[in-house]
Amino acid sequence: MIEQVLFWTGSALFIIGGVFDLLGSIGLLRFPSFYVRLHAATIGAIYGAVLPLIGISLIALGSPGIPGNYTIAGASFVTALILLVVAPMGSHVLAHAAHKSKSVSWKPFVDMLEEDEEK
Amino acid sequence: MSRRTIGLIVLLVGVVSIALTTFIVFNPEAPKSVRELGKYYIANTTRDVSSPEAVTAIVWDYRGLDTIYETVVLYMAIVGGLAISTTTRKVSLKTRTGLTSIARTGTRIIVLLIATIAFAIALHGHLTPGGGFPGGSALAITVMLIVPVYTLQSLLDQGVSSTRLIAVRGLALTALGLVAILPVIKGLEAVTNLKFYPSHVAGMLISGSLWLYNLFEFLAVASGFAAVALYLSIPEEVYREEIKGGE
Repeated sequence: MIEQVLFWTGSALFIIGGVFDLLGSIGLLRFPSFYVRLHAATIGAIYGAVLPLIGISLIALGSPGIPGNYTIAGASFVTALILLVVAPMGSHVLAHAAHKSKSVSWKPFVDMLEEDEEK
Repeated sequence: MSRRTIGLIVLLVGVVSIALTTFIVFNPEAPKSVRELGKYYIANTTRDVSSPEAVTAIVWDYRGLDTIYETVVLYMAIVGGLAISTTTRKVSLKTRTGLTSIARTGTRIIVLLIATIAFAIALHGHLTPGGGFPGGSALAITVMLIVPVYTLQSLLDQGVSSTRLIAVRGLALTALGLVAILPVIKGLEAVTNLKFYPSHVAGMLISGSLWLYNLFEFLAVASGFAAVALYLSIPEEVYREEIKGGE
Protein backbone atom coordinates (compact mmCIF):
# COMPACT_ATOMS: atom_id res chain seq x y z
CA MET A 1 0.00 0.00 0.00
CA ILE A 2 2.61 2.53 1.12
CA GLU A 3 4.77 1.57 -1.88
CA GLN A 4 1.87 2.36 -4.22
CA VAL A 5 1.36 5.74 -2.55
CA LEU A 6 5.08 6.56 -2.82
CA PHE A 7 5.18 5.51 -6.48
CA TRP A 8 2.17 7.57 -7.50
CA THR A 9 3.23 10.63 -5.48
CA GLY A 10 6.68 10.44 -7.09
CA SER A 11 5.17 10.12 -10.55
CA ALA A 12 2.87 13.07 -9.90
CA LEU A 13 5.92 15.16 -8.88
CA PHE A 14 7.60 14.07 -12.13
CA ILE A 15 4.67 15.26 -14.24
CA ILE A 16 4.38 18.54 -12.33
CA GLY A 17 8.11 19.06 -12.84
CA GLY A 18 7.74 18.44 -16.56
CA VAL A 19 4.90 20.96 -16.81
CA PHE A 20 6.96 23.59 -15.00
CA ASP A 21 9.95 22.86 -17.23
CA LEU A 22 7.75 23.47 -20.27
CA LEU A 23 6.35 26.69 -18.77
CA GLY A 24 9.86 27.83 -17.84
CA SER A 25 11.22 27.25 -21.34
CA ILE A 26 8.24 29.04 -22.92
CA GLY A 27 8.85 31.93 -20.54
CA LEU A 28 12.55 31.95 -21.36
CA LEU A 29 11.66 32.42 -25.03
CA ARG A 30 8.72 34.80 -24.72
CA PHE A 31 9.39 37.08 -21.73
CA PRO A 32 10.49 40.62 -22.65
CA SER A 33 13.54 41.43 -20.52
CA PHE A 34 16.56 39.80 -18.89
CA TYR A 35 15.19 39.86 -15.35
CA VAL A 36 11.85 38.23 -16.16
CA ARG A 37 13.63 35.62 -18.25
CA LEU A 38 15.89 34.90 -15.30
CA HIS A 39 12.73 34.30 -13.29
CA ALA A 40 11.53 31.80 -15.91
CA ALA A 41 14.90 30.03 -15.92
CA THR A 42 14.83 29.69 -12.14
CA ILE A 43 11.33 28.21 -12.33
CA GLY A 44 12.85 25.55 -14.56
CA ALA A 45 15.60 24.95 -12.01
CA ILE A 46 13.45 24.83 -8.88
CA TYR A 47 10.13 23.30 -9.91
CA GLY A 48 11.54 21.54 -12.94
CA ALA A 49 14.51 19.90 -11.21
CA VAL A 50 13.95 19.85 -7.45
CA LEU A 51 10.43 18.40 -7.63
CA PRO A 52 11.36 15.52 -10.02
CA LEU A 53 14.42 14.74 -7.87
CA ILE A 54 12.21 14.43 -4.79
CA GLY A 55 9.92 12.30 -6.95
CA ILE A 56 12.85 10.01 -7.82
CA SER A 57 13.72 9.63 -4.17
CA LEU A 58 10.10 8.76 -3.30
CA ILE A 59 9.89 6.18 -6.09
CA ALA A 60 13.23 4.68 -5.03
CA LEU A 61 12.06 4.51 -1.42
CA GLY A 62 8.95 2.65 -2.55
CA SER A 63 10.75 0.05 -4.69
CA PRO A 64 12.78 -2.36 -2.54
CA GLY A 65 13.34 -4.54 -5.63
CA ILE A 66 15.88 -2.12 -7.11
CA PRO A 67 19.41 -2.76 -5.76
CA GLY A 68 20.74 0.19 -3.78
CA ASN A 69 17.40 1.96 -3.73
CA TYR A 70 18.10 3.74 -0.43
CA THR A 71 21.33 5.13 -1.91
CA ILE A 72 19.40 6.47 -4.90
CA ALA A 73 16.72 7.94 -2.63
CA GLY A 74 19.22 9.64 -0.32
CA ALA A 75 21.46 10.92 -3.09
CA SER A 76 18.62 12.45 -5.09
CA PHE A 77 17.08 14.01 -1.98
CA VAL A 78 20.40 15.61 -1.02
CA THR A 79 20.87 16.80 -4.61
CA ALA A 80 17.39 18.34 -4.48
CA LEU A 81 18.27 20.17 -1.25
CA ILE A 82 21.54 21.48 -2.71
CA LEU A 83 19.74 22.68 -5.84
CA LEU A 84 17.14 24.36 -3.65
CA VAL A 85 19.94 26.40 -2.05
CA VAL A 86 22.10 26.97 -5.12
CA ALA A 87 19.62 27.83 -7.89
CA PRO A 88 18.00 30.90 -6.25
CA MET A 89 21.44 32.05 -5.12
CA GLY A 90 22.76 31.78 -8.66
CA SER A 91 19.95 33.78 -10.21
CA HIS A 92 20.16 36.34 -7.39
CA VAL A 93 23.88 36.83 -8.03
CA LEU A 94 23.25 37.07 -11.80
CA ALA A 95 20.53 39.69 -11.32
CA HIS A 96 22.69 41.59 -8.82
CA ALA A 97 25.67 41.62 -11.19
CA ALA A 98 23.54 42.62 -14.18
CA HIS A 99 21.96 45.47 -12.20
CA LYS A 100 25.23 46.76 -10.76
CA SER A 101 27.16 46.61 -14.01
CA LYS A 102 24.21 48.15 -15.93
CA SER A 103 24.80 45.67 -18.76
CA VAL A 104 21.10 45.02 -19.43
CA SER A 105 18.33 47.51 -20.12
CA TRP A 106 16.46 48.54 -16.99
CA LYS A 107 13.07 50.21 -17.46
CA PRO A 108 11.07 49.47 -14.33
CA PHE A 109 7.58 50.77 -13.58
CA VAL A 110 8.38 50.95 -9.87
CA ASP A 111 12.00 51.01 -8.65
CA MET A 112 11.84 50.21 -4.96
CA LEU A 113 15.53 49.26 -4.89
CA GLU A 114 16.51 52.77 -5.88
CA GLU A 115 14.13 54.26 -3.29
CA ASP A 116 15.74 52.03 -0.67
CA GLU A 117 19.25 52.92 -1.70
CA GLU A 118 18.49 56.64 -1.58
CA LYS A 119 17.48 56.42 2.07
CA MET B 1 28.81 34.18 -44.77
CA SER B 2 32.16 35.30 -43.50
CA ARG B 3 35.36 33.32 -44.09
CA ARG B 4 35.45 32.55 -40.38
CA THR B 5 32.02 30.87 -40.49
CA ILE B 6 32.96 28.87 -43.60
CA GLY B 7 36.19 27.78 -41.93
CA LEU B 8 34.32 26.66 -38.81
CA ILE B 9 31.80 24.67 -40.88
CA VAL B 10 34.61 23.00 -42.86
CA LEU B 11 36.38 22.15 -39.59
CA LEU B 12 33.20 20.69 -38.09
CA VAL B 13 32.42 18.59 -41.16
CA GLY B 14 36.04 17.44 -41.35
CA VAL B 15 36.21 16.36 -37.69
CA VAL B 16 32.87 14.55 -37.83
CA SER B 17 33.77 12.73 -41.07
CA ILE B 18 37.19 11.70 -39.70
CA ALA B 19 35.51 10.37 -36.55
CA LEU B 20 32.96 8.41 -38.56
CA THR B 21 35.61 7.04 -40.96
CA THR B 22 37.79 5.83 -38.08
CA PHE B 23 34.77 4.19 -36.54
CA ILE B 24 33.86 2.38 -39.76
CA VAL B 25 37.43 1.43 -40.79
CA PHE B 26 38.82 0.30 -37.43
CA ASN B 27 35.48 -0.94 -36.08
CA PRO B 28 36.37 -0.49 -32.41
CA GLU B 29 34.54 -2.75 -30.01
CA ALA B 30 34.78 -3.22 -26.29
CA PRO B 31 36.90 -6.32 -25.60
CA LYS B 32 34.77 -9.35 -24.88
CA SER B 33 37.20 -10.82 -22.38
CA VAL B 34 39.24 -9.36 -19.53
CA ARG B 35 43.02 -9.34 -20.09
CA GLU B 36 45.26 -11.53 -17.95
CA LEU B 37 46.58 -8.55 -15.96
CA GLY B 38 43.02 -7.40 -15.28
CA LYS B 39 42.08 -10.90 -14.12
CA TYR B 40 45.02 -10.86 -11.73
CA TYR B 41 43.93 -7.55 -10.22
CA ILE B 42 40.32 -8.67 -9.88
CA ALA B 43 41.32 -11.89 -8.19
CA ASN B 44 44.12 -10.71 -5.92
CA THR B 45 43.63 -7.03 -4.98
CA THR B 46 41.72 -7.85 -1.82
CA ARG B 47 44.42 -10.33 -0.71
CA ASP B 48 47.51 -8.30 -1.71
CA VAL B 49 46.41 -4.83 -0.61
CA SER B 50 43.32 -5.60 1.49
CA SER B 51 41.43 -2.87 -0.34
CA PRO B 52 38.22 -3.44 -2.29
CA GLU B 53 39.00 -0.45 -4.54
CA ALA B 54 41.30 -1.82 -7.24
CA VAL B 55 42.11 1.53 -8.85
CA THR B 56 43.44 3.01 -5.61
CA ALA B 57 45.29 -0.23 -4.93
CA ILE B 58 47.02 -0.07 -8.31
CA VAL B 59 47.81 3.62 -8.02
CA TRP B 60 49.20 3.58 -4.47
CA ASP B 61 50.45 0.02 -4.07
CA TYR B 62 51.19 -1.97 -7.22
CA ARG B 63 52.74 1.04 -8.92
CA GLY B 64 53.10 3.26 -5.85
CA LEU B 65 56.63 4.47 -6.64
CA ASP B 66 55.39 5.85 -9.95
CA THR B 67 52.58 7.76 -8.26
CA ILE B 68 54.92 9.27 -5.69
CA TYR B 69 57.15 10.62 -8.45
CA GLU B 70 54.04 11.93 -10.22
CA THR B 71 53.11 13.83 -7.07
CA VAL B 72 56.58 15.34 -6.98
CA VAL B 73 56.20 16.39 -10.62
CA LEU B 74 52.90 18.10 -9.84
CA TYR B 75 54.49 19.84 -6.87
CA MET B 76 57.34 21.08 -9.06
CA ALA B 77 54.77 22.31 -11.61
CA ILE B 78 52.97 24.34 -8.94
CA VAL B 79 56.24 25.73 -7.58
CA GLY B 80 57.29 26.62 -11.11
CA GLY B 81 53.98 28.32 -11.83
CA LEU B 82 54.28 30.38 -8.67
CA ALA B 83 57.90 31.22 -9.45
CA ILE B 84 56.98 32.62 -12.86
CA SER B 85 54.40 35.00 -11.40
CA THR B 86 56.79 36.53 -8.90
CA THR B 87 54.92 39.68 -8.07
CA THR B 88 55.37 39.86 -4.31
CA ARG B 89 52.38 42.09 -3.85
CA LYS B 90 51.51 43.24 -0.39
CA VAL B 91 47.76 43.64 -0.39
CA SER B 92 46.30 45.67 2.43
CA LEU B 93 42.89 46.86 1.42
CA LYS B 94 40.31 48.59 3.54
CA THR B 95 37.16 47.91 1.56
CA ARG B 96 35.59 44.51 1.95
CA THR B 97 32.29 44.56 0.11
CA GLY B 98 31.92 41.20 -1.56
CA LEU B 99 28.46 40.03 -2.58
CA THR B 100 25.08 40.36 -0.91
CA SER B 101 24.07 38.57 2.28
CA ILE B 102 21.92 36.13 0.29
CA ALA B 103 24.98 35.00 -1.63
CA ARG B 104 27.05 34.87 1.56
CA THR B 105 24.60 32.66 3.44
CA GLY B 106 24.19 30.30 0.51
CA THR B 107 27.95 30.09 0.02
CA ARG B 108 28.42 29.21 3.69
CA ILE B 109 26.12 26.19 3.33
CA ILE B 110 27.66 25.14 0.03
CA VAL B 111 31.25 25.49 1.27
CA LEU B 112 30.43 23.28 4.26
CA LEU B 113 28.87 20.67 1.96
CA ILE B 114 31.80 20.75 -0.49
CA ALA B 115 34.32 20.36 2.34
CA THR B 116 32.40 17.39 3.77
CA ILE B 117 32.21 15.70 0.39
CA ALA B 118 35.89 16.41 -0.28
CA PHE B 119 36.91 14.74 2.99
CA ALA B 120 34.61 11.80 2.24
CA ILE B 121 36.11 11.37 -1.25
CA ALA B 122 39.65 11.46 0.12
CA LEU B 123 39.31 9.38 3.29
CA HIS B 124 37.11 6.72 1.63
CA GLY B 125 39.50 6.52 -1.31
CA HIS B 126 40.49 2.96 -0.46
CA LEU B 127 36.85 1.83 -0.33
CA THR B 128 35.03 3.74 -3.05
CA PRO B 129 36.09 5.50 -6.28
CA GLY B 130 37.94 8.68 -5.40
CA GLY B 131 41.11 9.32 -3.45
CA GLY B 132 43.48 12.07 -2.49
CA PHE B 133 43.67 13.91 -5.78
CA PRO B 134 39.93 14.31 -6.55
CA GLY B 135 39.22 15.07 -2.90
CA GLY B 136 41.91 17.74 -2.77
CA SER B 137 40.70 19.33 -6.00
CA ALA B 138 37.17 19.44 -4.55
CA LEU B 139 38.40 21.11 -1.36
CA ALA B 140 40.36 23.70 -3.34
CA ILE B 141 37.10 24.72 -5.03
CA THR B 142 35.87 26.16 -1.72
CA VAL B 143 38.65 28.77 -1.92
CA MET B 144 37.61 29.68 -5.45
CA LEU B 145 34.04 30.11 -4.16
CA ILE B 146 34.96 32.17 -1.12
CA VAL B 147 37.18 34.64 -3.02
CA PRO B 148 34.45 36.22 -5.20
CA VAL B 149 31.72 36.06 -2.55
CA TYR B 150 33.61 37.09 0.58
CA THR B 151 36.58 38.85 -1.16
CA LEU B 152 40.23 37.93 -1.09
CA GLN B 153 40.95 40.22 1.82
CA SER B 154 38.62 38.38 4.21
CA LEU B 155 40.52 35.16 3.51
CA LEU B 156 43.86 36.88 4.09
CA ASP B 157 42.49 38.31 7.37
CA GLN B 158 41.71 34.76 8.49
CA GLY B 159 45.36 33.89 7.97
CA VAL B 160 44.86 31.92 4.76
CA SER B 161 47.64 33.14 2.49
CA SER B 162 49.36 31.40 -0.41
CA THR B 163 52.68 31.33 1.46
CA ARG B 164 51.13 29.40 4.35
CA LEU B 165 49.28 27.10 1.97
CA ILE B 166 52.53 26.33 0.18
CA ALA B 167 54.05 25.53 3.57
CA VAL B 168 51.18 23.12 4.33
CA ARG B 169 51.69 21.58 0.93
CA GLY B 170 55.39 21.08 1.61
CA LEU B 171 54.69 19.46 4.99
CA ALA B 172 52.08 17.13 3.50
CA LEU B 173 54.45 16.13 0.73
CA THR B 174 57.23 15.46 3.24
CA ALA B 175 54.86 13.26 5.25
CA LEU B 176 53.93 11.42 2.05
CA GLY B 177 57.60 10.81 1.32
CA LEU B 178 58.15 9.58 4.89
CA VAL B 179 55.26 7.12 4.56
CA ALA B 180 56.96 5.79 1.45
CA ILE B 181 60.48 5.62 2.97
CA LEU B 182 59.68 4.38 6.53
CA PRO B 183 59.57 0.65 5.57
CA VAL B 184 63.27 0.90 4.60
CA ILE B 185 64.13 1.09 8.32
CA LYS B 186 62.96 -2.48 8.75
CA GLY B 187 64.96 -3.55 5.73
CA LEU B 188 61.97 -3.68 3.39
CA GLU B 189 61.68 -2.03 -0.02
CA ALA B 190 60.49 1.56 -0.26
CA VAL B 191 56.74 1.92 -0.85
CA THR B 192 56.05 -1.38 0.92
CA ASN B 193 52.45 -1.63 2.03
CA LEU B 194 51.01 -4.46 4.08
CA LYS B 195 54.28 -5.92 5.34
CA PHE B 196 54.86 -2.71 7.29
CA TYR B 197 51.53 -0.92 7.79
CA PRO B 198 48.53 -2.56 9.48
CA SER B 199 45.48 -3.22 7.34
CA HIS B 200 43.01 -2.44 10.14
CA VAL B 201 43.12 0.27 12.82
CA ALA B 202 40.60 0.04 15.66
CA GLY B 203 38.55 -2.44 13.66
CA MET B 204 38.31 -0.13 10.62
CA LEU B 205 39.79 -1.10 7.27
CA ILE B 206 42.45 1.41 6.21
CA SER B 207 44.26 -0.85 3.71
CA GLY B 208 47.71 -0.15 5.14
CA SER B 209 49.49 2.83 3.64
CA LEU B 210 46.71 3.55 1.13
CA TRP B 211 44.76 5.61 3.65
CA LEU B 212 47.86 7.57 4.71
CA TYR B 213 48.85 8.26 1.10
CA ASN B 214 45.32 9.42 0.33
CA LEU B 215 45.24 11.70 3.39
CA PHE B 216 48.57 13.40 2.65
CA GLU B 217 47.92 13.61 -1.07
CA PHE B 218 44.56 15.18 -0.23
CA LEU B 219 46.20 17.84 1.98
CA ALA B 220 48.96 18.48 -0.54
CA VAL B 221 46.67 18.82 -3.55
CA ALA B 222 44.09 20.93 -1.69
CA SER B 223 46.64 23.39 -0.31
CA GLY B 224 48.59 23.53 -3.57
CA PHE B 225 45.57 24.27 -5.76
CA ALA B 226 44.18 26.69 -3.17
CA ALA B 227 47.53 28.52 -3.11
CA VAL B 228 47.49 28.87 -6.89
CA ALA B 229 43.85 30.04 -6.82
CA LEU B 230 44.67 32.64 -4.17
CA TYR B 231 47.74 33.78 -6.06
CA LEU B 232 45.82 34.25 -9.29
CA SER B 233 42.79 36.00 -7.81
CA ILE B 234 42.54 39.75 -8.12
CA PRO B 235 41.81 41.95 -5.08
CA GLU B 236 38.38 43.52 -5.23
CA GLU B 237 39.65 47.11 -5.17
CA VAL B 238 41.93 46.53 -8.15
CA TYR B 239 39.06 44.84 -9.97
CA ARG B 240 36.68 47.76 -9.37
CA GLU B 241 39.30 50.21 -10.63
CA GLU B 242 39.74 48.11 -13.76
CA ILE B 243 36.00 48.19 -14.41
CA LYS B 244 35.89 51.97 -13.94
CA GLY B 245 38.83 52.39 -16.30
CA GLY B 246 37.02 50.37 -18.94
CA GLU B 247 33.95 52.60 -19.07
